This record gives sequence, C-alpha cells and structure tokens, in this order.
Amino acid sequence: MERSLYRYIWRYSARRQIVILCITLLSFPILYASLELPKQIVNDAIGANPQTDFPKEFFGTPFGQVQYLLVLCFSFLGLVGLNGIVKYSLNVYKGLTGERTLRRLRYQLYERVLRFRLPHFGKISSGEIIPMITAEVQPLGGFIGDAIALPAFQGGTLLVYLTFIFVQDPLLGAAAVILYPFQGWLIPKLQKRVNQLAKQRVRNIRQMSDRIGESISGVSDIHANDTSAYHLAQLTDNLQTNFEIRFAIFRRKFMIKFVNNFINQLTPFFFYSIGGYLVIQGNISFGALVAVLAAYKDLAGPWKELLTYYQQLADSRIKYQAVIEQFDPPDLYGQDRILADPDFNFPQNGRLKLSNVTYEGEGSGQNVTGASVDIAVAEKTAVIGGEGSGRLQLLQMVSGLLSPSSGRIDIDATNLDTLPESVLSRNIAFIGPSPHMFNNSIRFNLFYALYHRPMRDPTFEEFSEREKAFREEEARQTGNIHYDIRSEWEDYEEAGVASFDELEARAVELIDRVGLGDDIYRMGLQARLDNIHNADEYKQLILAARRTIAAEVVSSSDLADYLDLWSPDHFNQSASLLENILYGVPIDSKFTPRDLAASPVIKEGLSQAGLTDTVFEVGKSIAEMMVELFSDLGGDSDMLNTFSFIPPDEISEYGALLQRLKSNPSGISDEERAKITSLAFMLIPTRHRLGLMTPEIEQQVVKGRPVLRRLLGEADAVPVAFFERDAFNDTMTIEENLIFGKARLDRAQARERLEEAVSSVVAEHDLKPIIMRAGLSFSVGVGGSRLSSGQKQKIGLVRSLLRRPKLVVLDDVIQGHGSVGEAELLKTIIDIIGPAGIIVGMSGEAGLDTFDKIVRIEGGRVRT
Amino acid sequence: MSINQEVDALRSVPILRNVDVGKLRLLAFISERVVYRAGEILCQQGDMGDSAFIILDGACAVEVETGGGAQEVAVLKTHDIVGEISILCDIPRTATVRAKEDTQALSLSKDQLFGLMREFPEVAFDVLRVLGRRLERTTQELAQMQGRS
Repeated sequence: MERSLYRYIWRYSARRQIVILCITLLSFPILYASLELPKQIVNDAIGANPQTDFPKEFFGTPFGQVQYLLVLCFSFLGLVGLNGIVKYSLNVYKGLTGERTLRRLRYQLYERVLRFRLPHFGKISSGEIIPMITAEVQPLGGFIGDAIALPAFQGGTLLVYLTFIFVQDPLLGAAAVILYPFQGWLIPKLQKRVNQLAKQRVRNIRQMSDRIGESISGVSDIHANDTSAYHLAQLTDNLQTNFEIRFAIFRRKFMIKFVNNFINQLTPFFFYSIGGYLVIQGNISFGALVAVLAAYKDLAGPWKELLTYYQQLADSRIKYQAVIEQFDPPDLYGQDRILADPDFNFPQNGRLKLSNVTYEGEGSGQNVTGASVDIAVAEKTAVIGGEGSGRLQLLQMVSGLLSPSSGRIDIDATNLDTLPESVLSRNIAFIGPSPHMFNNSIRFNLFYALYHRPMRDPTFEEFSEREKAFREEEARQTGNIHYDIRSEWEDYEEAGVASFDELEARAVELIDRVGLGDDIYRMGLQARLDNIHNADEYKQLILAARRTIAAEVVSSSDLADYLDLWSPDHFNQSASLLENILYGVPIDSKFTPRDLAASPVIKEGLSQAGLTDTVFEVGKSIAEMMVELFSDLGGDSDMLNTFSFIPPDEISEYGALLQRLKSNPSGISDEERAKITSLAFMLIPTRHRLGLMTPEIEQQVVKGRPVLRRLLGEADAVPVAFFERDAFNDTMTIEENLIFGKARLDRAQARERLEEAVSSVVAEHDLKPIIMRAGLSFSVGVGGSRLSSGQKQKIGLVRSLLRRPKLVVLDDVIQGHGSVGEAELLKTIIDIIGPAGIIVGMSGEAGLDTFDKIVRIEGGRVRT
Repeated sequence: MSINQEVDALRSVPILRNVDVGKLRLLAFISERVVYRAGEILCQQGDMGDSAFIILDGACAVEVETGGGAQEVAVLKTHDIVGEISILCDIPRTATVRAKEDTQALSLSKDQLFGLMREFPEVAFDVLRVLGRRLERTTQELAQMQGRS
C-alpha cells in the first residue's frame, strides 16, 4: 500500500492524470482566443473604417463589414460553446478519475480487512474500521481528480499573468512578486498547526465511533447496570473535544485566508506608490500601469485557487495517511491465501503432524507450548482441555485459522501454512459454539458454506449483456474482483447434489437429523409460501390437505366443535369483523384498520352492501364501551395496552367525540368516521363479548361479500387477498392455509386441537419436508437475534456438514459432560460424515470410548 | 352474548362482592368465556391452578380422588365459582371439575385480577375486607367448636 497519497494517485491513475493535464492545456488557447476575439470584434469589425478596411478577404472570399462582424460574432459564440464543452468534459473526466481511484482504494482497504490475521481483530473495532472505509476516504475522491490538473492549470495561468506584468516593466513585476516569498513561508507555518489539529480530529472521531459501536454491542449491560448517563457523558466529552478542535481549525483556516487577502491588497500599495512614481517620472506609460493593475487583479483568482488547493492537499494527505496506517499490519496474509483456487489434493487418509508447535496468544490461557501430536485425518480424535488450556487455539491451528508462532503443522508432507483457504477451509470444517449468523434467511445461512465462486448464471437476468460487460470492465479497471454477486454461487458438487431442489432436500434432511427439525417445521407453519423453489407444486399439495381437513370437519362433529372454517355464506365468529366483511385479508400488513376504513374503495363497497351505518353503529358502541371501561386507567397501564381497542393517548379524544355525537349526530368529519369504523373492524365476536353482533347483522355482512368482492377486485391496486376454498392464499401463513378457518376462541383447548389436526393431516399427506423448506425462509435477524443459541449452533453445524469436509473440527459443541442429547448428537454427526474424520474439542471426559485417539492439553502443553 | 351476564355472575362471587360494578365490567371484558362439552374437564385435581371458573350456564360435577376412584362430592350450578382461593395463592387444585352437560364458564385468571388490583388498589381492599370477615367468622366457629369439645 503506497505510503503517500501522491504516489498512490500516480500509481493507479497516472495515465488519466496526464489526459486531464492535456485537456486542461488544450483549454488555454481556446480561453485565450475567446479573450482576444471581443477585442477584435470591437476594434476590427465595429470600430473600423467602412471605406478603407473593407471588404476583407478570407480564404479567397470577400466579406463586407456587417458580414465580417457576424462571422466574428458567431465564431465567438462557437468558441464560448467549445470552451464550455471542454470544461464539461474535463470536469466529468476528473470526477470519473476520482471516483474510480476511490473505488479501488476502498476495495483494497476491505480486501486487507479480509487478510488480517484472526488475532488482529482483537485489537481493532468495527466501529473504527467502517467509517474509515466508507466516510473518511470520501473527500479524497474529489481531490484526486484535481490532484495534478489544478496546480498545473492555475499555476500556468498565474505564470502567464506574471510574465505579462514583467514584460510591461520589470520593476513592477518585482513589486508584484515581492510578497510571495513571505506568503510562501508564513502560510505553511500556519497550515502546519491546522494539519496537527486535523490529525487530532480524526483520532477523536474514531474514538467516538468506537465508543458508539461498543455501546451498541453492550447495550443490554448498559441497561442492566443503569449506566446510560455514563455513556452519554463520555459522548459529550468527545463532542466537546470535536467542537473545540473544529473551532480551532476554522479559526486558523480563515486566519490564513485573511492573511492571504490582506497581503494581496498590500501589493497594489506598492503599485500605486512605485508605479505612480514611475509614471510621474515618465518611465512607463499610464496605460501600462493601468494594464498592470488590471493584470494584478486577475492574479488574485489563480492565487486563491492555489491556496485552497494547498489546504485541500494538506488535509487529504493527512486523511490518507491516517487511514492507511490502520490497514498495514506487519503480518498481513498474502492475497493468494484468500483468493487462490484450490489445486492441492487434500488426502482423506493423510496424517496431520504438529511439530513443536507454539502459539503465543494475547491474553493468558491462550497459549500453546511445544505441542507435538500426530493425528490421522480419517480417525476420531478427542482433544480434552478445560477453559484456558489452549485447546481452542490448538484446534484453530489444526484448522488453519491461526498460524503457529513457531513450529509447523504438516498434512503429510505439506506445510499447512502454505495452503490457501480454498484448500484449507473447504477440506477442514471448524465449528465453534457460536457460529455467526448473517442477517438473512436460515436457507442463506445454511448454503453460505457453498459460496466460494460463482457457479452459474442467475436464472433471472437483471442486467442486459451490455450492462454486464460494462460492469465487468469497470471492475477490472478499478482492480475490483470480477465475480458477479448476482450469479448463483452454490457449489452443488461440493455438497454432492445436482440441483437446488436436491440441495434443499439434503439441507432439510440434515436439519432433521441434528434435532432442529421441529423448530424449522414450526417456523414453516407460520411462514408464507412466496418465492421459494417449486412454490406452485407445494401450494397444490397444501390445498389437497386443506380438503382433507374440511372433509374431516364435516364428518367428525368433534373437530367441527373446535374449528370454525371459512365459508362464503357463513359468518365466522372467531374472526374479526373486517375479515368477515372482506372475506379475505388485507394484502399489505402495513394497512392498518384505520387506513382501510378511510380507503375510498372500501367505503364504496360498504355503502353498496348497505353496511355503512351498521358498521358505524357497531364502532360507536365499541367506542362507548372502551371509554367507559378504560378511561380511568393510567396511560401506561398494561391492561389498557393489551385489551383496549383504542390506544391510551386517544381515549379522551374518543370520549369528546362521542359527547359531540350525542348532541349533533351528523357533526362528524370523514376522518373521525373512519376512526370509529376502524374500531368495528377489529371486533372479534367470541373474543370481545360485547353483544353487538346480531344474527341480522351477520346475515347482512355475508350478503355483502359478493358486492365487495366485485368492487375490490376491479380496483387498480387490489388491497385484499380473498378467501377461496380451492385457491392458496398468498397472504396467509401455511398453517392458516391448511386450516382455512380459525380455532374457536370460546372452546377450551381449541388451539391444541387445531395443532393436532394440522399434525395429523401433515403426516397423512407427507407435507413435513415441504413445510420445513418453507421454514428455511425464516429471517434470522441481525446476528441471529431471532434464534436461540442452540438453534444457531445447530445451523452452524448443518452449514459445515452440508459441504462434506474431509475433517470436521468441533470445539465446545460437544462438551463432554455427559448431558443427555450430546451422545446422540455426536453419534449422528459421525454417521453423517461417513468416511471423513472428526476432532472433538471438549472440556469434559464423557463418552471417550467413541474415539480412536485422545489428546489432552493443559496449560498449553499437550499430553497424548 | 353481552358482558352483562358475566357481570352478574361476577357480582355473585363472594370475594368480589364489594367491588365496584364498573371494575367488574372491565374484569368481565378481559376474561375469557369458554364453552365446555359434557364430560370435558375444567381443571384437574393436583394441578397448580392460576384461574377461577365461574359457571354462567350449565352444570359441573366436583370430583375428588379417593382410594377407589373419583367420587362426586358436589354439583356446581349457575354463578357457582371454582378455585377462588387458588387465584389468590399458589395452591394445587383440591378437586377435579368435570362438565355434566354443555356448560359456559367465565375463566378468571390470576394475572387479570392482580392487574386490575394494581390499577385500582381499592379492588384489593374490597377483596381483603371479604377475606377478613371470612377469617373472623371461621375463627369464631373454630373457637365455638373447641369450646364445645
């Protein structure tokens, strides 16, 4: 990584910088011409003597005065336009250069993060690294384009003007430049202090990012220990420091500008005095003095630009160095280690030999000293060591995740440390007790182990051929990796399958074998079947199961007692009034009952079905009841929040509204009407026994269904997924689709009976694997926050088993304290891996007879 | 089905005798009303109970496990309550309650009652007063019985 910003810019964008320079130099003559031309227009065209000077001849064609004038004017226009085009292209090109180089820089920084050795991550924080890559280098992009062109251009312009002045009179020229050396000495001195402050500012901001990141990771401890005020005080300290530094910086920056401007105004003083004297003495003409003064005024522009450039340069240099030095640890892995393709045949029957291996960790209890062990890859080995014995470090070294500080580990005759990750990690699978979960579906987290290289073109092409070629070219030009993220990355061969379908089936099988099957099944029941492989086929199967349940409900009065199934001419008392009216569910769960009550198409539907007033009255009664029951409760009462239809802060509003309605029944706005109607929508008769739903009202609702169906179905954006006995409802979960009804809320144990009915029909139709596949779409949350640690562990396990490694290394997954499921789990894992070997790191000694070899480690020393 | 029926039922529960009607309506609203078919069990002897049942309609048999099998010791009818003490303290059910015919019952959970008491402490006072008087009467009867023997 280049140490200085200029060297980096030159190394990666030299050619482009030269192009920019040339275009810049090209613009000079155009600029000069567009300055000269007006002079010509005034002198030669307008002010010339029509008799003597015309007709003028150009290329053999005679031009009259007016024609000549027009020719010159249009030429002027043309030049101005040309100048504009050149400037535009120059700016765009500068921008492109800057952005491309910046892209390369960011890529390199991130690639380096992936090349840090594992122990390094104990010293750095993501809170610092992230803003370095994303935000801190951003201003460099703007600077890079100007890096060489600007000083060249402005410097050149400055020289031209100075030359002009010197030509008029050397003495005046001297007067013009007399203060430059002084400025050249003073300004860098002032700037140095600004540079130091800029460095401090960067350090302070990084500390702030780090602390914010830490607070977020440790937020539950902050709450558990009531230390919020401490952290706020800490941030306040950083913010104060930042404020002070910034204040100092811009005081100095503006001081520099002020000094510069003042000195610039000082020079005219010399011009007037010395120049005036010279004119009075008759040494130079008055016109020359005027011209010099005008030229000097023009000098101010480029000089100011150069000064700004200088300040920007200093700032950018510091930013660059401050970032680079964080990404340059001495023991960085080579690029090959993470990106080289595998070309080594890892022997299934080889031997791993540790020869006097020592590892020196950061803390105590992280060391391994002089370990010499011989392990057969295909055997079952137990490594027993308690906490702090160095067991974890030993196993990480065997898996290639850590490098020994001294000694070596060989696989047959090859040093493990020389092999790239594509060999190490694909053949040896290290699984710890807390595998990382990416914020995606379970499926992603399982198949993740197979994402080494893009394997196939995506089934759905987002980009045209031309766009793809463009993207690849840009990646190549900026040193980025040329693999397309949108390709399909699953390595089927590694998993031993031939298609996505088979891969999913295998994943489901493994999930079931390690004991996560029931959890995934439950997630599947609550999942929606959208966008997964083979969805249409599965929907048909689920509909068949639905028919079975419906038939059973009809034939068995027992089940009919617990379930209230949907039927077009039957009012479902265990469902909300809204669902009953619509005979469907709102497609977007973002539509609240209030949104729906206000929606014109629903209002129209209610009106056509003759339900508007009925529903409004129901809503009014609910409002009255809620106000009566809950207005005495405090705002943060649990009861209020759980049971009231009306949110706590709105109860008094509703009370006032009801009062108004009593005296003036029609004095209600549309919005208020919608609010009251929305209360009615939420009513579930068997749950909220308010006695508001009479058989007549129920009949009215049922009669209105076809009307609403027609009206809503014709709307532009159909907001409802209607219930249809023979169609799968995409908005409902799989369980809801199977039952196609509700558990009766007024029957005890109805929920349990529902689950039994579902289980039995799932077993009968062999739907469990399909439902489990749907369950794989479950979103695990940030860091797997929606999963228990046991679930995370099992997913991590299946993830590694899916890619059929030759050696599985488990650390602290099987703990060896003889707990019930462990022996079973170990047996299952051994069965799954077949001919592959396994090394189990544990702290206890249970079940040792399963293993071919036992290694003990204590205090960093190994005993076999 | 409006909650008036349930409010009437709640009013006849001894420990809730002095509680304000408005609070009883609230309690009725947040409680669950459940239908039990003939033969179904409302609660099982020995289980830890956390809710009381008030019969709104129908009839239930109270069965106690003796050496030889379940023995019916009482029949509960409309407005009778089961387990009123168990929603105040954690004690196992002293008997099994089985529906003799289709029965509608109001299930009054401990959490709901306590929640109500937290919101309205006067409800707790009302319940306390009833318990206090009951305790006083029981003590008197005990004293009388001891005096006689």
